[in-house]
Amino acid sequence: MGCSSSVPDRSAGRLGGVNPDNGGANDPKNLRVKLVLLGDSGVGKSCIVLRFVRGQFDPTSKVTIGASFLSQTIALQDSTTVKFEIWDTAGQERYAALAPLYYRGAAVAIIAYDITSPESFHKAQYWVKELQKHGSPDIVMALVGNKADLNEQREVQTQDGIDYAEKNGMFFIETSAKTADNINQLFEEIAKRLPRPTPPS
Amino acid sequence: MGGGIRILVKDSYGFTVRPQHVHRYREYSSIYKEEEGERLEKWKEFLVQQEECARASHSKEEHTEPVVSEVTEQSGDPGQSTSEERDDSAEQCAAVSEVTAVEKVSGEEENPSEVTEQSSEKRDDSAEQCAAVSEVTAIENVCGGEENSSKKRSEGGLPSREAPSSQHGKRREVKTWADISPSLNCIDHMMSVRIKKTGNMKSRNIRCESNDLPSIDETRPSDGGSDDDNERSDTANAQTSSDKLPPETSFSWKEELASLVRGGVPKDLRGEVWQAFVGVRTRRVEKYYQDLLAVECDATDGKEHDKSASEGKKGDLPEKLKKQIEKDLPRTFPGHPALNETGRNSLRRVLSAYAIHNPSVGYCQAMNFFAGLLLLMMPEENAFWTLVGIIDEYFEGYFSQEMTESQVDQLVFEDLMRERFPKLVNHLDYLGVEVAWISGPWFLSIFVNTLPWESVLRVWDVILFEGNRVMLFRTALALMDLYGPALVTTKDAGDVITLLQTLTGSTFDSSQLVLTACMGFLNITEDRLQELRQKHRPSIVSTFEERSKGGKSFKDPKGLATKLYSFKHDHGSIVKENQTEAGLDDNIDLGEIPNLDSHSASLDEFLKGMSIDSEADSLPDLQEQVVWLKVELCRLLEEKRSEALKSEELEAAFMEMVQEDNRMELAAKVEKLEKEVAELRQLLADKKEGENAMLQVLLKVEQEQRETDQARRFAEQEAATHKQALHALQEKYDKAMADMEKRVVMAESMLEATLQYETGQSKASSSPKSGRPELQDNPSKKAGILSFGLGWRDRSKASNDDTGNVPDETDDQQE
Repeated sequence: MGCSSSVPDRSAGRLGGVNPDNGGANDPKNLRVKLVLLGDSGVGKSCIVLRFVRGQFDPTSKVTIGASFLSQTIALQDSTTVKFEIWDTAGQERYAALAPLYYRGAAVAIIAYDITSPESFHKAQYWVKELQKHGSPDIVMALVGNKADLNEQREVQTQDGIDYAEKNGMFFIETSAKTADNINQLFEEIAKRLPRPTPPS
Repeated sequence: MGGGIRILVKDSYGFTVRPQHVHRYREYSSIYKEEEGERLEKWKEFLVQQEECARASHSKEEHTEPVVSEVTEQSGDPGQSTSEERDDSAEQCAAVSEVTAVEKVSGEEENPSEVTEQSSEKRDDSAEQCAAVSEVTAIENVCGGEENSSKKRSEGGLPSREAPSSQHGKRREVKTWADISPSLNCIDHMMSVRIKKTGNMKSRNIRCESNDLPSIDETRPSDGGSDDDNERSDTANAQTSSDKLPPETSFSWKEELASLVRGGVPKDLRGEVWQAFVGVRTRRVEKYYQDLLAVECDATDGKEHDKSASEGKKGDLPEKLKKQIEKDLPRTFPGHPALNETGRNSLRRVLSAYAIHNPSVGYCQAMNFFAGLLLLMMPEENAFWTLVGIIDEYFEGYFSQEMTESQVDQLVFEDLMRERFPKLVNHLDYLGVEVAWISGPWFLSIFVNTLPWESVLRVWDVILFEGNRVMLFRTALALMDLYGPALVTTKDAGDVITLLQTLTGSTFDSSQLVLTACMGFLNITEDRLQELRQKHRPSIVSTFEERSKGGKSFKDPKGLATKLYSFKHDHGSIVKENQTEAGLDDNIDLGEIPNLDSHSASLDEFLKGMSIDSEADSLPDLQEQVVWLKVELCRLLEEKRSEALKSEELEAAFMEMVQEDNRMELAAKVEKLEKEVAELRQLLADKKEGENAMLQVLLKVEQEQRETDQARRFAEQEAATHKQALHALQEKYDKAMADMEKRVVMAESMLEATLQYETGQSKASSSPKSGRPELQDNPSKKAGILSFGLGWRDRSKASNDDTGNVPDETDDQQE
């Protein structure tokens, strides 16, 4: 669905004004980043977050209602730390109406799809367009093909993901929350691509 | 549905307690037990009392069972056919039911699900039977209840969710439905008054279907006054058609019940009490649930019927929703023992049936949790009807495609937060946290998965009792009240959310929560909420409209078809329902139209005429035309209503804009004034500062003056001492002078004497001449000194006394 912002501009305006810290804190050594996870239902958004934050994988995780929040801090090699404030959104289509609430002001968006489901890949493209239209202009976007462990059931070719990501200036990676493949790399790579605030002179 | 409940690391409802909460849960579980005992006593007492009252007043009703009886669960053995056998199994179950440790044999449950999935023919058969017997159900039910409860009494055990219900073992569907115990009839009656008010099943259908129609304005077909009218007319209908019910006000014990509910519903009564609250018995339409499932089944077999073509039944479940439900089944309370294969099948059926029942909602994530929760407490069909009550009515518009009402409620809640907790909201604003981030998931899940289970159920008790969303707001505000003070200490957005999640997740003190919610926020009332919703709805709707205009459209292209189909469906179900009111199907159909719009009465008449005409003429052709006309009429009515709604909304929006404008102006004025005040203050402050500076300068000057004064005085003193010294010196000098004078006089006289003597000598003996010049030289020298002394004396004496010196001068001149 072609949704813009679900909550009328009233709050959007408020947000823009009063909320200077959404893109990350000003301290160049300790970044704080709002990250939003979008994608079709059941592609493993919550699992990616749980794997990243708690190092766990639960094959029968709960349905996410509305959105859920977790945060995790990682340290990079150049001794900067990045605190990810992760909003994991509900996947069902109608919840897209609430998504703007969560992606507004986000510095990073992870758009996930399931490599065994072409439908979810389409949905991912919908989200990319939506963010290009309504997200922050300098948002860092990552396209993530999850469930890479199910390679034999693959229906979305890696090259398709790469191509689409390239066309849209996104970072692309295939992950598996189940085997933990590429999960940390995903977040590290994102951290590297973050626009750094210039150190206060 | 199996009610397998075991206590492991799980709570008493079979849900796993999060490891970090195990300790606290243990602490509270004893409190829970205590509370549970107390409230069970109170409820028993209350119900017995009601039972007696009811018996006194409704002597015609057969409820003679004074004891709290439980007839919840499904019949155990599908094979059992005699009451004797039933009793047996009841005994068995009662024996096993140690409050919590009932484990259903899954084999027992397998059957019914198979049964419902069997060919529709069989089902139809039994369903018919069902309908046929349904009239007698009440009586039979009472008997069953009696048997059960007497059993229980003798066992001394608590009524528990065990056992073969009052229902008839030979029919297998029985398992999926059970009447609630007669002791709850009074509550049921009271609550059913409420349902009648909002329309019965058939009218609901039309309303629901209409939600699905092209115009999105339809999402709130029942706003404002027109709805009230409908309701009133419905009430009238209901009261004339069904057994006459006393008006709600006559339930003097409602307050008592309310306070009981706030104290919590006893665990073992909860399933039934909830059904009574939602009015399941009144909502239920015989066979309706089975019909829905049949549709679902057929769809699976025959695949993709054309909606409009599938005569006489509900539409299929869209593939998309079906998939979604399938995806979510294993993700609903994963790990709960009751949600095994059988449990999931039940869940699937309930959700699918609901999705077909109300296509405007279909299936929305979150409903899986609600249905799952209900299935833990009641048989399948009961759960379905309870879900219908909750989603269709209490949460109308919440889980629909557009989720309008849930978004409206978020704005309303933010308003209330700003009003009640301005400081907290300021803090949240400062950190960039939006209230809806927090409250959105709370409201959408009705606190499932966010609060500990005991608290969730306690909140649900109140919500279902009150029949609206007031408690949702109150609970959320209570949580903010409880945890706000902790939240204001946080330093960034992430911490706020994390902390709040942790705190709410450990809200084990359910009594405190419910009490705070109910007592602390009494001014949050349904009227108040409606008012605020009215205020915010236009903005949400317009955003949505914008969105559907822009991108892909949400509009259902099959709107007309659905409408048509809904007519047909109603046509069918109404016939079944109102067998007594023998009449033309069309007439009944049209009789429903007033629910859509009361102004349609004349059209109704017109159409009635049409349909009668059609009987006379070549039937099929005209019939078709009638159908077409009906569709047309429906469309027009809807259009009209949507226009009316739109204009209303526009008006509301306009009013709001005006208000906003005024407010903005006022705000601007206030700001300006504030600025002025600030400026004046600044000026004042500046002046004060200046004054201060002046004062200081003055002080300095004074100090300096004092200093110079002192210096002057000092100098004066010095001058005085100098004078004195001078004086003294003068005196000394004078004295010395006088001395000197005396000496000079003496010396003079001595000199004179000497001179005289010398002259006398020389005269007397003028001896050697050689000595003489020497002598002559000497006196001249002496005379020089003398003359000098004399000269000086003269000069100083000149002013003092001139007279006495004449001889001296002559002396001098002589020399």
